[in-house]
Amino acid sequence: MMKKICRYLSPLLIAALVLGSLPVAAAPASPGSDLITTQDVLTAERSQGDRERISAVLARDDVQEQLVAQGVDPAEVEARVAALSDAEAAQMADQLEQLPAGASVVGALFAVFVILLVTDILGLTNVFPFTR
Amino acid sequence: MMACLDRHRVSALLQNARLAGVLALVLMMLVMTGCASTPRLAESTQRDLPRQTLLEDVPFHGQRDYQCGPASLAMVLNASGVPVTVDTLIPQVFLPGREGSVQPEMLGTVRRQGRIPFRIAGNLDAVLTEIDAGHPVVVMQNLSLPAWPVWHYAVAIGFDRAEKTLTLHSGMEPARLESFKRFDATWARSERWAFVALPPGELPATGNGQSTLDAIADFERAQGARASLPAWEALVKRHPGLAMGHFALGNARHAAGDAAGALDAFTDAVQAAPDLAAAWLNLGLLHRERGETDEAREAFERAAALPGPWQKQAKEALADPTTRT
Repeated sequence: MMKKICRYLSPLLIAALVLGSLPVAAAPASPGSDLITTQDVLTAERSQGDRERISAVLARDDVQEQLVAQGVDPAEVEARVAALSDAEAAQMADQLEQLPAGASVVGALFAVFVILLVTDILGLTNVFPFTR
Repeated sequence: MMACLDRHRVSALLQNARLAGVLALVLMMLVMTGCASTPRLAESTQRDLPRQTLLEDVPFHGQRDYQCGPASLAMVLNASGVPVTVDTLIPQVFLPGREGSVQPEMLGTVRRQGRIPFRIAGNLDAVLTEIDAGHPVVVMQNLSLPAWPVWHYAVAIGFDRAEKTLTLHSGMEPARLESFKRFDATWARSERWAFVALPPGELPATGNGQSTLDAIADFERAQGARASLPAWEALVKRHPGLAMGHFALGNARHAAGDAAGALDAFTDAVQAAPDLAAAWLNLGLLHRERGETDEAREAFERAAALPGPWQKQAKEALADPTTRT
C-alpha cells in the first residue's frame, strides 16, 4: 500500500521540486544580471558611493511618509516616489514645504488686490485676465 | 534685536523710517521695472527660427480647481502619444496638502507614463527652439509677485517673433497670447523652470550631451533598461563622442538580449574614452560570457590598470580561473 502511494507520489514530488527550482536556475542566466550598470557608474562618478546611496534610500522613505501626511493615497505613494530621480527625491525630502506648488489661485486680500492690479497693468504680473 | 528700544531712539527712528519707506518704495519699483524688460533673443535664434510657429495638434485640457499641474501634463503627454486623462493624472501628481503639484513630481509622473522629461535651459531661445522642433514646453510661472505667489503651470505651444508673443494653453484658456515681456517676468520668478516630455528615441532640440544623458539615466532608473534602449540609440547618434552614452547603450542592448550589439557599444565606449574602466570591465565580462577568453583577459587587464572603484573587481576577474585558461 505504502509502496503504491510512493510510486505515484515521488514523480509528482520530483516534478514539483524541479518546477519550483526553475526560476532560480533561470535567474543567473538572464542577461543584465552581472554587468556594471549605468546607474552604478553614474552614482560612482557623482558621489562617494555607498554613503550617498544609503542617504538616497532614506530620502525616499522620508518622502513616502511626507506624501502620506500631505493627503496622498497610500496606495499611490510608492509608485510616485519610485518615479523620482535620486536628486529629486533628496530635494523633496529636504524642502517639500518650500517647494512651489503650481495651483494658480490667489489668496484675496484687498491691499494685495490693488498692488497686483497695478503690477498687472504694468505688465509685470498676470493675475487678472481683464487687465490685458 | 529691535524689541527693546528706548524713547529717544524711537522718535529718531520714526523719522528715519519714513525716509527709509520712501527709499524702499522707489527701490522696489526700480527693481521691478528692471526685471521686466522685453527679453532679447540671441542672433542665432533670430536667424534660424521661422517668424511664427503654432503647434495646433496639442490638445487643450481646462484646469479644474488647483489642477493646472495634471492638466498641463495631460496636454503634453497626449501630444506625445500617451492617451492619458487629467483624472488619471490627478492621483499621480496632485498634492492635496499643498493644493498644487510640485516640480519633482511633475517630472516623475512623466516617467511613470513612459515618456522622458528633459529640463531645458532657462531662456526664451530654448523655449522657441523646442516649439519649432514640434515639442510643446511645460513652463512654471509665478503669475503674481514673490510675496504673494500664484504658482502656475502652462504649456507653451507657439510664438510670433514679430509680434513678440508666446501662445500658451493656460488655466481655462486655450491658445492664450502672452507678450514676451509679461511671460518672461512671470517665468523668471520660477527661475525659468521648463521641460519637454518626449517618447524614448526622440531628443530635445536644445541642451548638451551630458544633460540629455542624465535625463535618460533618470528615466532608466524608473522604467528599466529595455524601455530606454531607443533613447540611448538616439543619444549616441546625436553625440558619438560621449563615451558614457555608448556605455549605457551597451547595457541596454545587453538587457534586451542583444549580446553582439552590446559588445559593439562597449567597444565604441572604450574607443571614445580609453580610461572608462567600467566599460573595459563590462567588455571583459561579456567576452567571458561568450567564451572568448583571450579578449576577456585583455579587457580585464585594461580595467585592472585603471585606478578607481572598478579596479578591485577587474583584478578579481583576472584572478578567476575561467579567465586564465
